[in-house]
Amino acid sequence: MATGNIMTNKEHELVLTRVFDAPRELLFKAWTDPKLVAIWWGPHQFTNPVCELDAQPGGAIRIHMRGPDGTVYPMTGVYQEVVEPERIVFTSAALDERGHPMFEVLTTVTFAEQAGKTKQILRARVIKSTAQAAPYLKGMEAGWTQSLERLSESLAKA
Amino acid sequence: MPSPPDPLSTTLAALSDPTRRAILARLATGQATVTELAAPFSMSMPAVSRHLKVLEHAGLITRGRAAQWRPCRITAAPLKDVADWVAHYRRFWTESFDRLDDYLREVQKKGKKHGHGKHHDK
Repeated sequence: MATGNIMTNKEHELVLTRVFDAPRELLFKAWTDPKLVAIWWGPHQFTNPVCELDAQPGGAIRIHMRGPDGTVYPMTGVYQEVVEPERIVFTSAALDERGHPMFEVLTTVTFAEQAGKTKQILRARVIKSTAQAAPYLKGMEAGWTQSLERLSESLAKA
Repeated sequence: MPSPPDPLSTTLAALSDPTRRAILARLATGQATVTELAAPFSMSMPAVSRHLKVLEHAGLITRGRAAQWRPCRITAAPLKDVADWVAHYRRFWTESFDRLDDYLREVQKKGKKHGHGKHHDK
């Protein structure tokens, strides 16, 4: 399946691979310059009224993503590694309405040159979650039956 | 009282093994006994039982109490949490990357003269 580039591997990470027709320096900049991240971060129709990135180890990430219905999804994070132009590692947490983290994810993004293009590999791993996370996630994506079917399919192929 | 272990991580850890995923895929088609589950694998019954314990601990399966053969059944709820998370992430990143791709195309088209140009030079 061409778009089935997401899966869990043995470290129970989700892995997404994508090739961009751009030099990796440009891609790296698009990931670390807050003005640029604000352009593409989030699903279609979402905007990012707040996008603050301090792209250095220990530096903070603060993004408020706003959905088409006006709902704001605040996110904070901390950079663990920033290696220009090949690698970014950060933790991120979605916050509830009181500003408490609901779950935390460790994300690693690598950029490799590939025949003039850039192969980007993103790995995401939950490092902490709470019971409140489930309904939040549910709200983000309707139709879990379909999701479960897809998961079952991928499990069957694994 | 210690806080309960993080349920999503427990589920993901249980799903991290290909044998356990295969067992779940089998159980998605209906309940089965340990003997039936062991059949497709070149694995001892105790080894299969260990995998079943992990799945049971993660709440991914339940095992019958009454009958001696204790049939295993798949439980949807934790899988739902994982599926929700996977679906959320799939959508979030896939759509973000579509937009990133659009941005990269646009900026390279506009910025041909000076490498990575700004938005307004045409």
